[in-house]
Amino acid sequence: MTDELVSVTVDGAVVQVPRGITIIEAAKHAGVLVPHYCYHPSLSSPAVCRMCLVHVEKMPKLVPACVTPVADGQVISVHAPAARKAREGVLEFLLINHPLDCPICDQAGECELQDFVFQEGQARTRYSEYAKRYNPVEDFGPDVLYVPNRCILCTRCVRFMEEMAEAPVLAVAERGDRAYIAIDPHHQLDHPWSGNVVDLCPVGSLVSRDFLHRARAWELDKSASICPGCTQGCNITIETRDEAVVRLRPRPNLEVNRHFMCDTGRLDYRWMNHGDRAEAPLVRDGDRLVAADWDAVVARLHLLVHDTTGPVVVLASGRASSESLGWLMRMLEARSTIAAMKVPIGDEAPLAGVPGLALRPERAANLAGGLMVGVRDAWADAIARVGSAGLVILHDVDLNDAEAAAIAGAGTLVHFATATDDRLPRADLILPVTMMAEEQGVYVNRDYRAQRYLPARTAPGMARPAWWAASRVWQRAGSERTVPTTTSEAFAALPAFGGLTHRDLGYGGRILDPAVVSR
Amino acid sequence: MAIGVKVMKRPGSGVSYVRATLKGMALTFKHLLQPAVTMEYPEEKSTSEWRIATRWRGTHRMMTDEQGRSKCVACGLCPQVCPANCIKLVPGEDEDGNRYPLIYEIDEFRCVFCGYCQEVCPEEAIHVGVHYENSEYSRDRFVYDLERLSAQTHAVSTLWDPSDPRGQ
Repeated sequence: MTDELVSVTVDGAVVQVPRGITIIEAAKHAGVLVPHYCYHPSLSSPAVCRMCLVHVEKMPKLVPACVTPVADGQVISVHAPAARKAREGVLEFLLINHPLDCPICDQAGECELQDFVFQEGQARTRYSEYAKRYNPVEDFGPDVLYVPNRCILCTRCVRFMEEMAEAPVLAVAERGDRAYIAIDPHHQLDHPWSGNVVDLCPVGSLVSRDFLHRARAWELDKSASICPGCTQGCNITIETRDEAVVRLRPRPNLEVNRHFMCDTGRLDYRWMNHGDRAEAPLVRDGDRLVAADWDAVVARLHLLVHDTTGPVVVLASGRASSESLGWLMRMLEARSTIAAMKVPIGDEAPLAGVPGLALRPERAANLAGGLMVGVRDAWADAIARVGSAGLVILHDVDLNDAEAAAIAGAGTLVHFATATDDRLPRADLILPVTMMAEEQGVYVNRDYRAQRYLPARTAPGMARPAWWAASRVWQRAGSERTVPTTTSEAFAALPAFGGLTHRDLGYGGRILDPAVVSR
Repeated sequence: MAIGVKVMKRPGSGVSYVRATLKGMALTFKHLLQPAVTMEYPEEKSTSEWRIATRWRGTHRMMTDEQGRSKCVACGLCPQVCPANCIKLVPGEDEDGNRYPLIYEIDEFRCVFCGYCQEVCPEEAIHVGVHYENSEYSRDRFVYDLERLSAQTHAVSTLWDPSDPRGQ
């Protein structure tokens, strides 16, 4: 592919597209969707489904748009009568053996077979004398079920396992109308990235056991987000039903995760639905914690920041936003601070077919963002210093018992909490904060790409982002200090990010200036 | 006079109520001899002249299969189409891997009896009923759960048939 442009006409619209791209991609430039099943932008194109047949002037036959490169001056007609008739025929063949079980199919509502049959298929069947082919549901692996009756043999799953995962355990078995997707009898579909076949499947043939019967596609509210699982920073969509997260799916970003996400990230959402949340600010009064309003808590925290002596220890979660970490550090700018982020370590699981894409061992989405705003100390050192610290600030960390015991004995403890922790009965202040699914913010991934995530649901009770509370405390320390009112302002006000705003980051994120990074 | 009041002259004599009373009673006795047009509800619920329409849309009924299980597969179309948002549905999976409703509740107070749920149901499970006697002693009894919906025995609505708009 070169930078050279060619001019093609798609359904009457003249568009300039790069030379060498396929007709199906050129049509996207013109805003025309060519119906397709086997084509996927991240996979090879075998042109087996015959759905993307389009008419090109001066070509003797219809051509498959997914493998035909554009040429200068081509006149392409996606909706020519001949092309429509061909696709209608293909759909009729697909529906011969496709069960009419849309009411119980998980894919209903986001099914490409439904969409295209509705768009250009026939309303009635001409094939009613014979019973449909029937094969029982097969268990492919830990999270994937295969419903062969619904399969249209697009082979996207086969090609994903072969080209992307490079673990070719799937294949098309048998021939003709008996064909189905078979799994190597000695293997399971347990590759750490195998969950992607469920997203790739255009129909409800490969379904996720985790999501099975949980929600219908049309009930889901979707928000753009970033996976909080590791330092890779895969772009994801958080899908909620009635304010509960029911599914995470990858969101295309060609420079970070293409169209994929790993199963570890995909299935790690249950903590977002945690029911036992901190909802009101709590202030210690003698032996008891009493509920207070935000003003009182901010005033109290201001006193603690100013009146305690000795070093301050900040213990942060790897899921904290850059805004929250940055403002916590700014709130403590007058104090000597030991700030550490808890980074759980796991196994690395690369996706072989995509260079630079892996489930990273560092399971903290905002590790780089923390480094940029000054959360740089080692976690073990910070825990060791808790006992001698004048003030311990804990931000929503999953602690193990030893860490909790160390912190429980600390002098003054301020807990920015999503949930209160029974192991920390001596907290002086508990500030209810939002978790990443309820706030917007920026995560900086391992390549120093800053990416925004958006709120997926409302925060419980009086919970607010930690940056909001920290900035109000910072404001009290000096006169004429103005504080941000929006997350975007909170981000722009942090010197570590060189004045960039949320808008500057765009949809795909932005690799931060190395000069800024080194500062 | 400042505000024009018109003073009517009352009739003095030669006026009697007897004539008017007799006229009224004549009408009453005439009707006593004519056939009755009213129906003795609740002893009598339909007559040859009047019956409840087969298109009537009343409180719901869930159809069951031969084993007595509800025909609902929890596809989610009725809560989606419901304009009053009165259907609560939580899907689940039984031992055989079939999809079925864990919770299916209709709030008959919220329901506007449009019949869309019956129209949209792909399994012909939920129906609006030809039924109108729904009194209860407490408000919460008007939230019909799956068991109650399945236990209803009244006739179900034929709804409006576009090919037979007048119901003939």
